[in-house]
Amino acid sequence: MGLLIGSSKTAFRLINPIVQVLRPVSPLAWFPLGLLAFKAAEGATIFIIFITSLWPTLINTAFGVASIPQDHKNVAKAFGFSKWKYIVKVIFPFALPHIITGLRLSIGVAWMVIVAGEMLSGGVGIGFFVWDSWNALSLEKILSAILIIGVVGLLLDKGFDWLQKRFSYA
Amino acid sequence: MNSNHHISAPIDSASEFHKIQSRPASIAIKDITVSFKTPKGIFTAIKNIDLTIKKGEIISLIGHSGCGKSTLLGTISGMTPPTNGQVIVNDALVKGPGPDRGIVFQNYSLLPWLTVYKNIYEAVDAVFKLKTKAEKQEIVEENLQMVNLWAHKDKLPSQLSGGMKQRVAIARAFAINPSILLLDEPFGALDALTKGTMHIELLKLWNLDNRNKTIVMVTHDIEEAIFLSDRVVVMNNGPEATIKEIVDVPLERPRNKKQIVHDPAYMEIHDRLMGLLFDKFSIED
Repeated sequence: MGLLIGSSKTAFRLINPIVQVLRPVSPLAWFPLGLLAFKAAEGATIFIIFITSLWPTLINTAFGVASIPQDHKNVAKAFGFSKWKYIVKVIFPFALPHIITGLRLSIGVAWMVIVAGEMLSGGVGIGFFVWDSWNALSLEKILSAILIIGVVGLLLDKGFDWLQKRFSYA
Repeated sequence: MNSNHHISAPIDSASEFHKIQSRPASIAIKDITVSFKTPKGIFTAIKNIDLTIKKGEIISLIGHSGCGKSTLLGTISGMTPPTNGQVIVNDALVKGPGPDRGIVFQNYSLLPWLTVYKNIYEAVDAVFKLKTKAEKQEIVEENLQMVNLWAHKDKLPSQLSGGMKQRVAIARAFAINPSILLLDEPFGALDALTKGTMHIELLKLWNLDNRNKTIVMVTHDIEEAIFLSDRVVVMNNGPEATIKEIVDVPLERPRNKKQIVHDPAYMEIHDRLMGLLFDKFSIED
């Protein structure tokens, strides 16, 4: 989808306004809609994680694809690359670092939303654990949970940082 | 050819030169005009250009920056569609880029995420769809050997020097075995020493191929143009650039870089080109 938006101006004009309107919507606002659609708290949680973490990846991919230098396009044109070869050998490798940056931002958002979602849906997960500890008035449990959430978030970010370095070609 | 652009060769000893001129046409540019739409209105880069290039001929397009040399080359490659007129290549109308024309871009245009080997392989793979993998690999190896870069085949372009990148770009253009080679300021970014070596390498490759490939090159280096070309096309300043004059270079091949500069015929051509390109020769003029 990001590849499409980035490579076609028309697609960008069509989809960009929708993206801009949906992007700032709070994950909590999506939750009832998820409940309605999936009839279960678990499905709704996955839905809100997906819908809120989607945007950074989408926008970054589109941006990456749109910023392909004319030089690279010329190579594909001059040597008659097929559409498939152009996507796989030019567009995708060029956009990959942007895509990974997008994923890195997305995973950060997703991790925050997971915790919030679990508080709402209840039953399982670290978010529920925090809420449950609050009900049990166990401050040390809350603090250690916060610490764990922070450290896991950091590790996820580091993981993507490594990926980013791994796939940069310069 | 448009006769009023043409000046006759001052030397008649160059039978080789006349032999080329009796060959069949490789490229025929007919009344080409290229205009671009800009926010300020329509900009005409080149206007009413006529030029016929023979098979196996080496032609340089020379002129000041922005005179439309690259635009003219673009119409031959098919990357720039003409607003008016036609380009006929090997008896067929140019409608877009094609595998009969190999292009070497000004800034090499290698894909930075592919190795030297892969950069050439992908081009070969795109052009020779019917060949087997082994055949395609053989073509890549042959061409990399030819430019002495086989040892560097697994490097990324960012690990190469400018001259090496240019050799990869040239190998890539040769690998698709085009009948025409189009070079857009191919040696512009190289230092003078590397440039000199590259000129000889290019002529060597052309020679190995029995001088059958037609080469059209954009440059703004007079010495380079004379050393390499059979004819030098001098363009007027743009916008609406036209051909100012076509200067023949009837110097015997193979040419020797060291000796050629002492050849009176060379000096005459050099002076002629200087005269065409520069109105003023001293700061006191």
